[in-house]
Amino acid sequence: MSTAHARDGRFLLAPLTIFLLAMLGLPLAVDLIYSLSRVEFATILSPQFVGLENYGQALRSESYWQAAWFSLRFGLIAALAQLLLGLFLAIFLAPLIDKRPWLLAFLMLPMMVAPALVGLMYRLILHEFVGVVPWFLFTYWGDSPSFLGPDNAFTTLVVVEVLQWTPFALLILYSAYAAVPAEVREAAAIDGAGPWRRLWAIDLPLMAPAMGAAFFIRFIDGFRVFDNVYTLTGAGAGGSTTTMSIWVYQAFFKSGDIGQAVAASMLLLAASWLVLALVHRVSERRA
Amino acid sequence: MRTRRLLPGLALPALAAGLLLSSAAARAEVTVLGWPGGPEETALRAAADLYNGQDGLAEEDRVELIFFNRDGFWDKLQTDLAAGSGEFDLNLLATYAIGRYAPFMEPITLPDGAAELFGEKVLATMQFEGQQYGVPTDLSLHFMYFREDLIDQLLSDADWQARYQEIAQERLGKEMSPLPPEQWSWDDYQATALFFTKAVNPDSPTRYGTVLQMKNLLFNMMVWQSTARSFGGDWMNDQGEITVDSEAYRQGLELYKALYDAGASPKDSLSYEFAEANAAFGSGQVATMLQWNAAAADLNDPDKTPAVGGKVGTVAPPSGDAGRFTHIHGLGLGLNKAAQNKEGAVRFLEWLATPEAMQAYALAGGAPALSKDALQPVVEQRPDLAQLGDYAGQYGFVMTGATSAGALPVYELQAQHFTGYWAGQESLDEALSATAEGMEELLK
Amino acid sequence: MNLLRWLVFAVAALAMNFPVIATLVTSFKSEAEIASNPSWWIQAPTLANYAGVFAMADRFDVLHYLWNSFASALLGAGLSLVLAFPAAFALVRFGAGRRWLMPLVVNLRAIPLIVFAIPLYLVYARVGLLDTKLGLALILCVVNLPLVLILLAAALRDLPVELDEAARVDGASTFTLLWRIVLPLAGPALATTMVLGFVYAWNEFLFALMLTTRDAVTATVGASFFFAASGGGVRWGAAAAVMMLSVLPPVVLGLLLYRRIGQSLAAGAVKG
Repeated sequence: MSTAHARDGRFLLAPLTIFLLAMLGLPLAVDLIYSLSRVEFATILSPQFVGLENYGQALRSESYWQAAWFSLRFGLIAALAQLLLGLFLAIFLAPLIDKRPWLLAFLMLPMMVAPALVGLMYRLILHEFVGVVPWFLFTYWGDSPSFLGPDNAFTTLVVVEVLQWTPFALLILYSAYAAVPAEVREAAAIDGAGPWRRLWAIDLPLMAPAMGAAFFIRFIDGFRVFDNVYTLTGAGAGGSTTTMSIWVYQAFFKSGDIGQAVAASMLLLAASWLVLALVHRVSERRA
Repeated sequence: MRTRRLLPGLALPALAAGLLLSSAAARAEVTVLGWPGGPEETALRAAADLYNGQDGLAEEDRVELIFFNRDGFWDKLQTDLAAGSGEFDLNLLATYAIGRYAPFMEPITLPDGAAELFGEKVLATMQFEGQQYGVPTDLSLHFMYFREDLIDQLLSDADWQARYQEIAQERLGKEMSPLPPEQWSWDDYQATALFFTKAVNPDSPTRYGTVLQMKNLLFNMMVWQSTARSFGGDWMNDQGEITVDSEAYRQGLELYKALYDAGASPKDSLSYEFAEANAAFGSGQVATMLQWNAAAADLNDPDKTPAVGGKVGTVAPPSGDAGRFTHIHGLGLGLNKAAQNKEGAVRFLEWLATPEAMQAYALAGGAPALSKDALQPVVEQRPDLAQLGDYAGQYGFVMTGATSAGALPVYELQAQHFTGYWAGQESLDEALSATAEGMEELLK
Repeated sequence: MNLLRWLVFAVAALAMNFPVIATLVTSFKSEAEIASNPSWWIQAPTLANYAGVFAMADRFDVLHYLWNSFASALLGAGLSLVLAFPAAFALVRFGAGRRWLMPLVVNLRAIPLIVFAIPLYLVYARVGLLDTKLGLALILCVVNLPLVLILLAAALRDLPVELDEAARVDGASTFTLLWRIVLPLAGPALATTMVLGFVYAWNEFLFALMLTTRDAVTATVGASFFFAASGGGVRWGAAAAVMMLSVLPPVVLGLLLYRRIGQSLAAGAVKG
């Protein structure tokens, strides 16, 4: 690595670095100041330093933990369901897709639709008097459950998320499955291993990194979820469908307590970094 | 430690980036931010067209309207005002948000005729700490909507009446006979709603007896508030003590829960707001609904709502021990402190506070509360405005503290806990004590 | 067995695309029919909702929303490419920024971006970027950077180093090399990344909701307006029509380029 190269490298990185400093560094600095201040809309330009009070308030807030728990459950359950469903579809449909790659186009479409719009679409689809699903159930079954009621809202939201994003897992896992070397499979077949045995001993271990990646990415997106939950149920009865992102949004706009909203979002940031660091350590060790 | 200079300093680099595209160039017209998506919008458009059509109107006096989303409207307006946005000269103002926006707005002086046109009580919906902040363009309150055809049959059909008495005895534990809606107490409403519910009465012609709006949303709290008030409830007493942890609030909350649990309101009521409730009532599967007056015209229009159009009656909400009440609030337009065209904006406001302007506004579907004389020329076409004025005068109320800066967060807080109780996630005691505790913070 | 596979495929494709299909059906029904017939079948297909949407231009200027989406997504995706391409090259060839810049950008993918929304709102309000297409494009660029950087780095790694070396022997500077040789070779990868970035930016909702009010309202946010669109209730038909118009561009792109998008997503996910 010559010094000329290092200089060129720095030069090439400069635009991105400056842009990130302006777009993220500056807001982060504002975040830090506000999270340590008492500040409301009326005093937006003259925050008063109060130390760590906001952090304490956020941590003591019951609804904050409720939202954290919701996001965590939502992220884990949705990601797991997507992984399993995606895995099944990728392996089971592989013979079809191998011959006719265009089938993938239909399975990929849901990813092209804005999640916010998917939430709105379900508001229409699930409405008891104009929606097609309740109509179908009333017609052929005589009754329709309360999809967005307190008992079922969580399940409904998870199903909505899973139906839209399973294609992502499916795509990654299909690629991974197709990348398993044919000679390895053949060798195992010659050794007399049946299809299940081959799947268990060869395909799945070789697909493990892809499965890990798919699960992790979908978990992150599930944990951060805002769009489809916000447009479908909003905060939910008693805050029952408030995700972390919705909590921060509402704290900022609705309660007018900017300091606390920002402090809560800083905690969220810190937690994200922690999780990332852990995942990083784990994957380094395996590699 | 004051950090007043800090933010502008921090913003300098970003300012350099923003130089290319500053949108803060002075505009040549009056920009008005109105309440989107309802009759208020249609009416404001008509009024603005009339104003812009005047001969010899100067170019800089022309009015341009902007509307954004209802969802999160107040949140956005608040951030825009606080940030000193000059995007609009005049903006929407509501009784329940006036204390919060007043610091960013300029008090106005209305022409002498305004008091005669609106009456003092209505002007007061746009006042804060003794100052007038806006022209009151619309008044919102609640009607009890009911299906005239069904209620008529209930009042005349012996079999139905017998069944009604059975249900009342069984569910409410007392002797009751059907009454016309204008005489309803909350018990009559409850018994009627149960009678028209399939889950309670399999012979009911409708699936549900009523439709409650129970989504975690501040406007739904306003609809519900009339119930608590009619049992004598209030936010605080004269000494400034919070009084929501009371028998009146319990009765009101329990009524909704009882109806919801009995299946008298659609299963998904906990995600219902204005639009969903109207869709349910408009499907013909619901017998009664407590709803904003704004829905009346569309629901009773056979073209827009074929299933129930022409069969919808409206009366004031049912009465409780303390009498009959309806929440009222005014919507109006006031002057943004950061307005870029104040002279033109004030000229439009002054014109808006004239009989000619308000009559045009009323004819286009708005709901101004006008004095009898001012309403005379349009009462033919808008008989409901007479009803609106009557109800506001007779039954209108504003909770103590509901115009303060903390009013909106109070409704949000109530929405959070009351919907939690209705959904069975919190006990009544928990919901009320948490609400009372939070309100003490907010209404200090 | 094969029949079973087809069956599973059909069920999966139907279930996953269900909201779009159902909304499409609704958009061809008249408002009166929506209220009376919620079923799958359309008794009297009509284009009235689409016509109605355009007729409402003074209230909901759908074309304006679509144009805002298009402009800010194009600008946001384009800018992320312009910033990330040289950086990806420096990273792959010189190892520059490997220690902090790359991890930082990649990890952005894992951070709830709402953390930056509040201060951005306040800063934008100060500098006049609120409710502008440029302001929205800048943040859409941030949202896209992790994906774009990963995909471009992966693509550049696949280019043979011999070309670089040959050009160096001819005395080309880094920039000549980048501009004359690497850029044309990376063209297909850039195009795919651009499309993906565009789709993601088009579908963004949170920042569009927070940072726009009128001038820069995008199609995703505009469609949500229709749920509070009249005095008497939701105009479901108009709402359905607007939603269909809003999903059309990304869906068409996805159908046309599904193969390339699929390959690069799969590659990017595993390597990132």
